[in-house]
Amino acid sequence: MAIYKTAIKNPVTTMLVFVAVMIIGLFCFVQLPVDQFPEMDPPYVMVMTTYPGASASEIETNVSKIMENSLTSVDNLKYINSTSKDNVSLVVLELEWGCDITEAVNDVRSFCDMAKNQLPDGCSSPMVFKFSSSTMPICQYSITADESYAALDKILNDEVIPQLNKINGIGNLSVSGAPDRYVYVDIDQQKLDAYGISLEQVGQVISANNLNLSSGTVKMEKEQYQMQVRSEFIESSEINDLMVTITPQGQQVFVRDIATVRDTIKDLSLDEKTNGREAARLIVAKQSGSNTVQVCEDVQEELAKIQKQLPTDVKIQEIYNSADNIRNSINSLEESVLYALLFVVLVVLFFLGKWRATIIISLTIPISLIVAFIYLKMADSSINIISLCSLSIAIGMVVDDAIVVLENITRHIERGEAPREAAIYATNEVWVSVIATTLVLVAVFVPLTMMDGMAGIMFESLGWIVTVVCCTSTVIAITLTPMLCSKLLKARKVRIENGKLIDEEATTKTWYDRTVVAFLDKVDAAYAKSLGWCLRHKALTIIALFVFFAASLLPFIMGKVGTDFMAQQDNARLSVTVELQRGTRIEETVKTARQLEERFMLLVPEIQMISTSAGSNDDDGTGAIFSTTMNNTISMTIRCNKKWERERTIWQIAEVLRQELAQYPEIIEYQANISSGGPGGGNTVDVEIYGYDFDITNQMAQQIIALTKELPGARDVYSDRDDDRPEIKILVDKEKASRHGLTSATISSYLRNRVNGMAVGFLKEDGDEYDILVRLKEENRNSISDVLDFSIPTPMGQTIKLSEICSVDEYWAPPKIVRKSRQRIVTVKVTPYETSLGELAQAIQTQVLPQIDKPAGYSIRLAGAYEDQQESFGKLGMLGALILILVYIVMASQFESFSNPGIIMFTVPFALSGVILALWITGVSLDMIGALGIVLLVGIVVKNGIVLVDYINLMRERGYELNEAIQMSGQSRMRPVLMTAFTTILGMVPMAVSQGEGAEMWRPLGIVVIGGLTVATFLTLYIVPVVYGAISKKGERDKLKKVRENFIFMDIDVKDCEDLRSKE
Amino acid sequence: MKSIMIIFNQANTERVEYMLDMLEIRGFTFFEDVQGRGSKNGEPRRGTHAWPEMNSCVITIVPDEKAPLLLEAVKKLDKRNEEVGVRAFMWNIEATV
Repeated sequence: MAIYKTAIKNPVTTMLVFVAVMIIGLFCFVQLPVDQFPEMDPPYVMVMTTYPGASASEIETNVSKIMENSLTSVDNLKYINSTSKDNVSLVVLELEWGCDITEAVNDVRSFCDMAKNQLPDGCSSPMVFKFSSSTMPICQYSITADESYAALDKILNDEVIPQLNKINGIGNLSVSGAPDRYVYVDIDQQKLDAYGISLEQVGQVISANNLNLSSGTVKMEKEQYQMQVRSEFIESSEINDLMVTITPQGQQVFVRDIATVRDTIKDLSLDEKTNGREAARLIVAKQSGSNTVQVCEDVQEELAKIQKQLPTDVKIQEIYNSADNIRNSINSLEESVLYALLFVVLVVLFFLGKWRATIIISLTIPISLIVAFIYLKMADSSINIISLCSLSIAIGMVVDDAIVVLENITRHIERGEAPREAAIYATNEVWVSVIATTLVLVAVFVPLTMMDGMAGIMFESLGWIVTVVCCTSTVIAITLTPMLCSKLLKARKVRIENGKLIDEEATTKTWYDRTVVAFLDKVDAAYAKSLGWCLRHKALTIIALFVFFAASLLPFIMGKVGTDFMAQQDNARLSVTVELQRGTRIEETVKTARQLEERFMLLVPEIQMISTSAGSNDDDGTGAIFSTTMNNTISMTIRCNKKWERERTIWQIAEVLRQELAQYPEIIEYQANISSGGPGGGNTVDVEIYGYDFDITNQMAQQIIALTKELPGARDVYSDRDDDRPEIKILVDKEKASRHGLTSATISSYLRNRVNGMAVGFLKEDGDEYDILVRLKEENRNSISDVLDFSIPTPMGQTIKLSEICSVDEYWAPPKIVRKSRQRIVTVKVTPYETSLGELAQAIQTQVLPQIDKPAGYSIRLAGAYEDQQESFGKLGMLGALILILVYIVMASQFESFSNPGIIMFTVPFALSGVILALWITGVSLDMIGALGIVLLVGIVVKNGIVLVDYINLMRERGYELNEAIQMSGQSRMRPVLMTAFTTILGMVPMAVSQGEGAEMWRPLGIVVIGGLTVATFLTLYIVPVVYGAISKKGERDKLKKVRENFIFMDIDVKDCEDLRSKE
Repeated sequence: MKSIMIIFNQANTERVEYMLDMLEIRGFTFFEDVQGRGSKNGEPRRGTHAWPEMNSCVITIVPDEKAPLLLEAVKKLDKRNEEVGVRAFMWNIEATV
């Protein structure tokens, strides 16, 4: 028995099956994590190798090149980049999106093992890292303090972090900028010389007096005791009273005589301030797979509790919380989905005019959408922008099938059939074609799941969700909808009067009949009239439509429609990077930072918080290689109020800041980036310059920068190659040194002890250890002459001055060497402002690059987000072609005809016209999401054509003359076509006009679909019938004649035959 | 004894069955899914794309006195909704075994 019959005959089962589906769906919905994007691991693997003592160029030739050469054979490799800095080589492998990172890491590891033997001695083994989404911070807090600032590190590590660690799903917690406690022993060089002692001696004395040692066991009568010498410092002041030496005169020299002991916080190298107050930054990451929003909320809650236990001057302030972002964008999308639902229901109500029918149709929406959550749960995905957006796309389509079924059932009921039978037999008539139209949608959306690259990850879930939802809606349309129709729809009310049957409905006209139906009838009639005219003037109509098509392409050809990779989002966050003159002292940098903060606050009242860090953490932790801040750089994270609370957009604010930054002479470079939060990172056009010679490439880069800065939409133009860094080179005279019994190694360690400090153990307190550092006091190591004046002990027991064996040279060295695809590279990055990425790239391509001299062996290419854009557009283009072919195949097999799908395909170019016009009018540029919209349009617009052509075919089969059939079909199918088009268009409207957070991302999709579908729908109503008429002229018009040719036996003259036979 | 063949749109199945029950006609033979088209202006019932609807057919052998009642009922059903369609044809039964 057919499925719809079973459904109608077992209404209880049918209903309960769907109730069960909904309950399971809601259950999954509650359990689903909420996140911004689907889980996607960025496909980067990094290999870090340290080679102590080597300069950047040595690292490049001896380490980076070797690693690059062996790592190029890693599978799925897209690009290989390397950065060579002093002591460190970092090779970054960019793999194809969506490949198995674990596999790749293993691969990389084995290649590293192979390369290990070729690396120079003294090189560490290469370390392999991978990025994963769990390493990305999900929220950051700034912790400010006044009096308690010195103890902030202890407060954070003892009170805050342990409590936060208890939160379920929390990942790494790290603190930056918290003051470390240090015990400094600052020694006076002159006093050392006066007493004839060396710095190392002082250090040895301190460490020799700071120990706990076991000295064996002592047996006393019946008992046995462990004996221990205990002399660890309890307080730092004890150091003062240690005796260093006795002078020949018998005078004791204590530490206090030659040094100052400071128990303090670490000397300034990284300055963290929030709104100008002393601050540390707490960075929270989550475990992979845990619920971002939940973790952020828990952290917030826990911090609120912790706050009460902390000293009153310690304030915890949020710098950035991805949960807010996610929640806002998810909320705004949820709102869009609800509005879409409302609009769709209103459209259905308008066209059908019956609340029962509207309820039946509307029920399909929640059920189909809820099934998406079951899919998401099974696919281990999350509720994110992509999945919600997919629902928003699907919402207008899920009602289509149910509408077709319901319409046919209503037609049967209006003929006077009983609802139950009408439901069965009406569904029987349409269920095959309902499934066929769904197949068209499947042909559009399933290929989306086959894309690779980053777009593949984003569109995979979109493809599956829309497919699952549409298939569910079809199942609902042929089971639940007929069942509900059989129960809810009423047969036409009739009564018998004087033995005659009287239809009550036919005699009474409702308000709806008088207004809406009358209006729709008028529209029908007008359409039929105009269609009739077009059918009589086919050539003229077709020419007119093609002129329209060609004209609509003009804005695109003339470059009025820009292209982007991903629309930038205004999520109220800005990051400002400022670079001062190289070698600027950290203290000077901090001064500028304070000044900037003050000005920014004044200029932009929208700013709620500025969190600034200046300088760098000079720890040698692995984190240090990723941070780019140095003594002369300031990086600021600025948070403004939400975009609906202010008039200026974040881009305008960034522009204000840029103009301010341009006025400072000490600032040599600045950028104001809008952190978009989306995948794919920045929205820049990168000009990559490949070539070996630094001077030549630098010159080319400077030329490009100078020319690009003149382009109207170019902002934040900078080269990623850092300027040369001033260095002081100590040149050891080996002969003199060896005469004193010194080697370069010992000299360098002595130098390090004097400048950087000699670690001589720890001060222990409450289980924490604090470094004790012995070094020369600051005034003794502040200039080159001071350095030359360092006293160095010789093995013979004398002290000599450094100037005796060394000379000092100042020079400039490149701080790092960047390579890409095994070539040295400089990248000039350009951010578009009030223009699109594509236009900016075009301008650079045509106006800047031809003016650059390119010596042989040097090459320039455009990359960055522009390259990603080109790549994804290419892929989407391929996908579009694939979808066109698949849709054609599905339609051709549905109609059993080669020409009919061709007729329907005529609507696709007009969809493009609509897209271009819509983008041109709104001024939105076409990005990857918009391009996706175009691809989807192919499937959506042909649906209208199918409805129309199918009906024309039907009418022709029923024996109507061609033009009559076309006109009749047009008139009768206009309402369903308009209805399904309006449900889809209005379903997209909330997405296109939403002002919520993250809405920028989906706006192009909404605009593209609305524009394309509107134009395509109205033109479908003309172009399809007219082209049908034109094409059918020869072949099918005289159907009867053709049929007769197949059955000529009817022309046999029987009488003649009989006569012939009788003669024989 | 008369044989009456009722050919009707499937959508009328329940009403035809009700009719037979009301007239206390017990015996019948039911043919499901039969095709056909009316002689004057009856819409074809072919189960095709153009004419998707289908008919069913009931043949019942009734005593002479019930035959007019049944025909009358069919007439009423046809009046109820002519578009859906029902027809009845009657002929004599010569013998039964």
